[in-house]
Amino acid sequence: MSFQTHDARILEVKELTSREKLFTLRFLDPEINRKFKYKPGQFVVVDIRGFGEFPISLCSTPTREGYFQLCVRRVGRMTKYMHNLKEGDIVGIRGPYGNGFPMEKMEGSTLILVAGGLGMAPLRSVLWYALDSGKYEKIYLFYGTKAYEDILFRDEIIHLLKHGEDMNCHVKLAYEVESPSCIYLEKGYSPRVCKGVVTDLFRGESFDVNNTYALICGPPVMYKFVIKELLDRKLSPGRIYMTLERRMRCGVGKCGHCIVGTSTSIKYVCKDGPVFTYWDALSTRGLI
Amino acid sequence: MRYVKLPEENFEEFFNSLKKWGIVYAPVKKENIYSFQKVQNVSEIALDYTRTMLPPKKFFVRPKDEMLKLKEGHWEEANGTEPIVLFGVHSCDIHGLEILDKVYLSDPVDPYYKKRRENSIIIGISCMPDEYCFCKSLGTDFAMHGFDLFLHELPDGWLVRVGSVKGHEIAWGTEELFEELTEEDMKNFREFEEKRANSFQKHLNKEGLEDMLDLAYNSPVWKKYERICLGCGNCNMVCPTCRCYEVCDLWMNAYEAVRVRRYDSCFMESHGLVAGGHNFRPTRLDRFRHRYYCKSYFDPSAGFNCVGCGRCDEFCPAKIEHVKVLDEVREGLQ
Ligand SMILES: Cc1cc2nc3c(=O)[nH]c(=O)nc-3n(C[C@H](O)[C@H](O)[C@H](O)COP(=O)(O)OP(=O)(O)OC[C@H]3O[C@@H](n4cnc5c(N)ncnc54)[C@H](O)[C@@H]3O)c2cc1C
Ligand code: SF4
Ligand code: SF4
Ligand code: FES
Repeated sequence: MSFQTHDARILEVKELTSREKLFTLRFLDPEINRKFKYKPGQFVVVDIRGFGEFPISLCSTPTREGYFQLCVRRVGRMTKYMHNLKEGDIVGIRGPYGNGFPMEKMEGSTLILVAGGLGMAPLRSVLWYALDSGKYEKIYLFYGTKAYEDILFRDEIIHLLKHGEDMNCHVKLAYEVESPSCIYLEKGYSPRVCKGVVTDLFRGESFDVNNTYALICGPPVMYKFVIKELLDRKLSPGRIYMTLERRMRCGVGKCGHCIVGTSTSIKYVCKDGPVFTYWDALSTRGLI
Repeated sequence: MRYVKLPEENFEEFFNSLKKWGIVYAPVKKENIYSFQKVQNVSEIALDYTRTMLPPKKFFVRPKDEMLKLKEGHWEEANGTEPIVLFGVHSCDIHGLEILDKVYLSDPVDPYYKKRRENSIIIGISCMPDEYCFCKSLGTDFAMHGFDLFLHELPDGWLVRVGSVKGHEIAWGTEELFEELTEEDMKNFREFEEKRANSFQKHLNKEGLEDMLDLAYNSPVWKKYERICLGCGNCNMVCPTCRCYEVCDLWMNAYEAVRVRRYDSCFMESHGLVAGGHNFRPTRLDRFRHRYYCKSYFDPSAGFNCVGCGRCDEFCPAKIEHVKVLDEVREGLQ
């Protein structure tokens, strides 16, 4: 692991929604490019010189080499600046940081990905990794979004709604705000698209809890409800993975911002996580 | 460890010889506050000081620290490091530095911290506790490593423990100033240590502290103190083991920017704020409690995150006492 920032060029900028853009990047130094290996669930720290640094999840998959992608929501100063960048511009990147999801350990099992809003970004990495590697029994994606306009990677999601079954990938979508586009989607893919929240998507689904892992990422309020749903179905806490967000500055266990827990168990979200199991949450207060 | 004696009459010459190793900083008294300052003469030093306001961490993790400078679109290292000699560091602060070492020198190594640590010489000095000290309860009242030389007060000079290769080099260069220890010196040393051990007025009951605290998560004591605490963050700034930092880039002019790191405090509302305005420690109660949990965390390889220096008590404007809070939380459980 290193603290060092490396220059990366923006190869492509794609507008995903009115707030989120997808940046495709590659390191200038081919050697660094070759060495840059990451796991789904890990993140990088983007350095915009003269403006600052911020952590962003890798949303591409390591199975597709030569580039990596970041999905950035415009929320403040630095992310706004990032949104103004164009193809060919250069930013600094350090990482990858964090533990990532244990993809190898989960091979042969069914994966249930539960995403809320921007939580789709890190889970997209898992999704494409699982599809590319073909080593997983079945993949479910339960994706909760506010409105049609907010669906991240909309083309990919609609593609998977259409053709996912051929790849053992079962996509379900819940939206909150009704619109003609949503109703159109709902008509086309009922009952896999419905109005409601992400937990509604569990209805009618059953899993072999001994051979299933759940991977969750979304806004803080989502975790409690999704975990309850999973525990009700007797999924073991050790099979529930979630990726968490905290304020992060250094990303490597120095700046102290992401420390959670109490005297018996202190965790750094940046280096002990950001992926934790529900067992971790039970033994470390304040994790969720 | 090598033990030698520095007779009182050689002290000044020994001190002056340190200047060739780097800029010498030592505790100096200004009004009622002690602080580590650049020192030229022995007469400026407050040898019998209690505690400085800012601990020696200020030399390694500076309150405001320029790390990088932006020159023509590229970051350059902002400042070199000069060799320094920290003269007169108390045992608890040496332990404090070792706790910081655990964090900053673990993988990935913090290059700024490492360079400064390597460029520094630490010379410890013995002390007498005041009403705030409780290092004895935490086992940080005596340093076995983490220093180059350690000076223990004797009636007619100093018993010097040599703690590192650099310490040997320093003593070697001024060999003529040192003497062998006598039985009498050893006796005086033991007497001083005994007197010191008996002078502590404050004791922390650390038995099962981590578990006790964990059980007391909802203790009303936290709520009581939440109301008294001003949330000023002084306790973080002065603590030798607190080391949260913020980073920001500042523009000096149209062409030059610097990346600055500065102390942050978990008492600030912004400390736990993330995207969407969500705050993981939204109330002062959360923040007050968090500090106690962080300080009382026990790392098997580094001990507690508190070394009992008493700074947070002395410099708390609300007169909140660390040990008293922990005692009250413990009492609340029974
Ligand atoms: C592990 C991790 C992965 C992340 N992945 C993504 C991602 O894939 N896509 C994405 O759009 N965002 C992601 N974020 C959030 C992203 O880091 C923040 O939105 C960004 O730092 C805000 O910077 P800003 O200057 O634009 O906002 P600011 O103007 O600084 O503040 C806007 C808001 O963002 C919060 N914020 C500021 N700095 C941070 C920080 N370092 N960490 C968390 N919140 C912060 C502020 O408290 C405030 O609420 C991730 C955060 C973490 C910790
Ligand atoms: S918590 Fe207080 S007594 Fe303990 S090391 Fe920090 S400042 Fe010193
Ligand atoms: S110094 Fe005292 S008043 Fe200030 S934040 Fe710390 S405990 Fe609260
Ligand atoms: S982000 Fe700095 S310690 Fe985790």
